[in-house]
Amino acid sequence: MKKVILFLLILFLFSFGCQKKEDVIRIGIAGPMTGDQAKMGMDFKNGASLAVEEWNGKGGVLGKKIEMIISDDQHDPKQAVSLANKMVNDGVAGVVGHFNSSCSIPASDVYNRAGIPMITPGSTNPQLTEKGHRGVFRVCGRDDQQGRVGADFVINYLKLKNVAVLHDKTTYGQGLADEFRKFLRSEANVVFYGSIVQGDKDFKTVLTAVKARNPQLIFFGGIYPEAGLLVKQAKEIGLNVNFMSGDGTIDPKFIEIAGVSAAEGTYLTFSPDPGNIPSAKGFIEKYRSKYGETGPYSIYAYDAANILLAAIKEAGSADGRAITEKLHSMEFSAALGNIRFDEKGDVTVSPYVVWVTKNGKFVEYRKP
Amino acid sequence: MFLQQVINGLTIGSVYALIALGYSMVYGILELINFAHGEIYMLGAYLGIIFLAFFTAIGLTAYNLPLALFLTLILSVVFCASYGFTIEKVAYKPLRNAPRLSPLISAIGVSIFLQNYVMLTQGATDKVFPHLFGASGFQFVSVRMTYLQLVIILTSVVLMVALRLFVRNTKMGKAMRAVAQDKTMASLVGVNVDTVISVTFIIGSGLAAVAGLMVAMYYGLVNYFIGYIAGIKAFTAAVLGGIGSIRGAVFGGILLGLVESLGGSYISSEYKDAYAFIILIIVLLVKPGGLFGRAELEKV
Repeated sequence: MKKVILFLLILFLFSFGCQKKEDVIRIGIAGPMTGDQAKMGMDFKNGASLAVEEWNGKGGVLGKKIEMIISDDQHDPKQAVSLANKMVNDGVAGVVGHFNSSCSIPASDVYNRAGIPMITPGSTNPQLTEKGHRGVFRVCGRDDQQGRVGADFVINYLKLKNVAVLHDKTTYGQGLADEFRKFLRSEANVVFYGSIVQGDKDFKTVLTAVKARNPQLIFFGGIYPEAGLLVKQAKEIGLNVNFMSGDGTIDPKFIEIAGVSAAEGTYLTFSPDPGNIPSAKGFIEKYRSKYGETGPYSIYAYDAANILLAAIKEAGSADGRAITEKLHSMEFSAALGNIRFDEKGDVTVSPYVVWVTKNGKFVEYRKP
Repeated sequence: MFLQQVINGLTIGSVYALIALGYSMVYGILELINFAHGEIYMLGAYLGIIFLAFFTAIGLTAYNLPLALFLTLILSVVFCASYGFTIEKVAYKPLRNAPRLSPLISAIGVSIFLQNYVMLTQGATDKVFPHLFGASGFQFVSVRMTYLQLVIILTSVVLMVALRLFVRNTKMGKAMRAVAQDKTMASLVGVNVDTVISVTFIIGSGLAAVAGLMVAMYYGLVNYFIGYIAGIKAFTAAVLGGIGSIRGAVFGGILLGLVESLGGSYISSEYKDAYAFIILIIVLLVKPGGLFGRAELEKV
């Protein structure tokens, strides 16, 4: 008899736990919140928090408060998958994340199985939306578009013939480097193609080998800690050539690591400066007063969260599949401008431009 | 290109050698692999950043850069040496007569503790060491060397020669060699074994602190995790040269640095970390005691 009572008590406790879940709408925010890319994760968190606070200030969505579940994937794919499972179990209506393509791609399988939509603010690898998962979206561009803009710039504008290509072996880094190489076509020679290890600190070996091939430009597919060290160490071994990288490098820490003089004149492919977009003005002001200077992906995280919440509102329920359909059919007026997703979940308009570092700041490159 | 890669290899190799000395000295005396040693190196790098920031704040760096750097070095060494001393007293001394595995596990525990301690107090993000020298250096025929590389190599050589003289010619050095041979016998003839062990930890930690500070200046980037890889590489260097042998640690460290940079440039840089371990396996197959060590089968 005692056992039966105990059993009923436990059952009661569990049912209590289930009921509590329905009081709020949960959305997941996933990215590298700690570790060497923590800056990007915090930008995600701050951008998304701002959006959620605004919605909660207006009474939440579907009459319920919005709760964020912040998940730190430490840019580790294994961690990303286990956190994805955890968020699915927590009953999130959708996920804003992840940052690294190597995390987003495996995690997208988990969300797809559960029918939960994910909107990544920063994963640019083409594979992510090529898998045919219906609930996968991104508000940023794709590496094939980005690599092409970089390659066109090198061929048509800088008019360089010999290029060295390096990457960090990650899905993002190698993907970007390969797309860049592909779009160079036969217009420029790739005199060196090699990789480095993410987390390594000594790149003088590979740079010395690069130097022996006399390239006019080094293209690096990777993230800012390695990019900063590469630029710094290239100058130290007397390799004074142009350096170009992608959106993973566009972070103030890059300049801090490389040093202002070594970072000067580095070309980066990235989306246009939000400071020049009229609709982003309100966001930038609010973000500044709350968290300080915006990071490169703060606005993407803000838009991703807003789009997700707008779709929940429109769908009238927290059911993942209903939200997914709304995400496909609606047009959203976001801080970045009007956003609409195509069949694959990519944004229909994704402009990439070239940026350059000037006196310790990133500025959009304007052809003179 | 060959000479340039040799310079790159020598620079990083002499840092490996400095750390490897700490592993080798402790092993020589206690037959303990001090897995927390890499963390002391990481602490040295962090303390360097902290003290230099302090001297910059009080204006000494702008007034006299060499003096500020020298004081930073001294303070980092003193702090790391006291960490080394304390770790031995707290984590290893109580286990001195315990089975061989217990102090080893304790060492791993200390390593995890120190990593998390630094992560929690200093944050998980990368810390940037101020750019003091830029890329200034000199050109010698086809080789370019920065002044910092020169300083790293010279400092390491001076410290290694000093250590050798210390162990060969001083009374304490003689006592250390005696304890390494036989602890019981050494104590019977009046050697204070506890003091000798403490001195060993202090010297080893001091050398690791110097290595940490120099690496922080060289790469300019420090995080709480750098001690892990550096520790593994230095441990490999110590085993390569014959663990317990000072000459072996120096030689092993420099060999490791050269193999990494030459292998990385002539074969493929993608497998840079693998070459060190390939060499290690070959050496251990041919000469199980390491290049300068004696083969003793019972050692861990």
